Amino acid sequence: MTAPVLQVRDLQVRFGTKRGVANVVNGISYDLHAGETLAIVGESGSGKSVSVLALMGLLPQPPAAVAGSVLYHGDELLGLSPKEWRGIRGRGTAMIFQDPMTSLNPVRTVGYQLTEPMALHLGLKGDDARQRAIELLDLVGIPSPEARIDDYPHQLSGGMRQRVMIAMGLACDPDVLIADEATTALDVTTQAQITELVDELQERVGMAVIWITHDLGVVASIADRVHVMYGGRFMEQAGVDALYATPRHPYTEGLLGSLPMPGADRPERLVTIPGLPPDPVAMPAGCPFAPRCGYSDGDRCVGTVPAMESVGAGHDSACHYPLGVVNG
Amino acid sequence: MSDHLDDRLAAKPVSRTRETLQTLMANKLAVAGLIALTILVFVGIFGETIAPYGINEIDIPNRLTGPSGTHWFGTDDLGRDVFSRVIVAARVSLQVGFIAVGFALVVGVPIGLVAGYYRGGIDSFLMRMMDVLFSFPAILLAIAILAVLGPGVGNAMIAIGLVYTPIFARITRGSVLVVSEEVYVRAARSIGAGNRRIIARHILPNVMAPIIVQTTLSLAFAILSEAALSFLGLGVQPPNPAWGRMLAEGRNFFQQAPWMGIFPGLAILVTVMAFNFVGDGLRDALDPKQKSVIESRGQSV
Repeated sequence: MTAPVLQVRDLQVRFGTKRGVANVVNGISYDLHAGETLAIVGESGSGKSVSVLALMGLLPQPPAAVAGSVLYHGDELLGLSPKEWRGIRGRGTAMIFQDPMTSLNPVRTVGYQLTEPMALHLGLKGDDARQRAIELLDLVGIPSPEARIDDYPHQLSGGMRQRVMIAMGLACDPDVLIADEATTALDVTTQAQITELVDELQERVGMAVIWITHDLGVVASIADRVHVMYGGRFMEQAGVDALYATPRHPYTEGLLGSLPMPGADRPERLVTIPGLPPDPVAMPAGCPFAPRCGYSDGDRCVGTVPAMESVGAGHDSACHYPLGVVNG
Repeated sequence: MSDHLDDRLAAKPVSRTRETLQTLMANKLAVAGLIALTILVFVGIFGETIAPYGINEIDIPNRLTGPSGTHWFGTDDLGRDVFSRVIVAARVSLQVGFIAVGFALVVGVPIGLVAGYYRGGIDSFLMRMMDVLFSFPAILLAIAILAVLGPGVGNAMIAIGLVYTPIFARITRGSVLVVSEEVYVRAARSIGAGNRRIIARHILPNVMAPIIVQTTLSLAFAILSEAALSFLGLGVQPPNPAWGRMLAEGRNFFQQAPWMGIFPGLAILVTVMAFNFVGDGLRDALDPKQKSVIESRGQSV
């Protein structure tokens, strides 16, 4: 396999708050290869969005403190100067945000916002930039792009705005596209169209995608690999099929159990996970999931953080007692 | 599916500017204000040509005569035509208003942008300075500044401009605080835009609405301040006419010749009201909250 586009090692993010230090991301590591779709799933507050904002250098420091290592084509990103960061953002990595209703500037036309990254990174201006913007709008499936380019965001529907955001992200052919809950604010039909679009574009352009979501249904339809995040750590990581077929971590099992599956042989009531996610200011000393875990032994689970260990081919779980694995 | 519906609904691009102008034109008071302002600006530019008499044409035998066919607004204690003087004085009033408010804009808006965007220490430093300026009563501060700089039209512009700077700084900062939290600002950063670019191209256009409204309203107050300063003898110096000066001169003859004070006073009144009507109209047209109230009312009827 070729060298990964992005190598994240032991990424940590802390925030200084009035109540104390909030440990939001506590050492996550992963590789991202060209053409791959990696999904990071987790509930609200699990640190998934913060972890990718750190990759983009979009966390203001202070109050945030970012540690660890992020290698982009082998070059360290953390610690770059603001100017060096500007060269990476939009050019190497691009981002799509959750709510397309607020992520476009209301007083600028679609064309202006599409051509801005081209002017910043490619030195493309005037008619050339406009031509490329029209091509991009066409690429993301917006009908009559020549007319739409002069529209203002309020004249477009949510789905169309998200398409414009994607076009903006693709403007300078980035290697990595980060979609932060990119379909959460959209209705289900539009959601499917957008995921399909990203999938298709990825095949054509060959970029890598990090898809942040809490929607396991979306994950199943697009991801190659899935990382399950909880309390600022990865709980389990596996290929998408393996994860759904044989979850090896109690948290993943709980997540999948709470998902309604039509026609599946399941108990009538959906399973819920009792309790609340951990407070980042007062993280448990051991496994972050231990206080809510039905399998917790009340001793090792509470006292020691479990290491990420292999439980199968390309399948790792951070649990002292991984499910379905006989433990010595 | 929803995309197709929107296609038809949004067939023709309507820019915000056009929408604002349409709303403004529907407001009768604002239109009246605009008409009055147009006439005022015209008079301000061509004052000397329109005026039937020279502003310093002294005619002692006809001093203190009441309004008549030959002297529409009467004559003053030196027999000068009040109508001509009121008309010519429009220029200096408008000049002081525009230049002083322009000064306040050019200084105050960047202060507000920097303070609201960068926050932290620089924000505290700049805004505390503005607070100091703001804590003085406006006219008192202007008088104090003129006491240092010396009386005169140019210094009056600087004094009034300084007095209005903190208002623009505050209004801008407040809006910037809100706008800089918007996702599209983060999105602009995510495509590699730098701070200066974000401030100038993304934040400034989004905070223009309150600044425009404040500009129009401040013009009215600046003209009023100029009149007050000239009334106190700190602005326009004799023998040049200014509405405030003429009020002051007319005060001494109010029993015999009320027209000496009434007409310059009316000129101030009309000008200030015109700016206020336009300012109010603009606020209604630009303020999305007000707008949504009106629209939802319209729908429920």
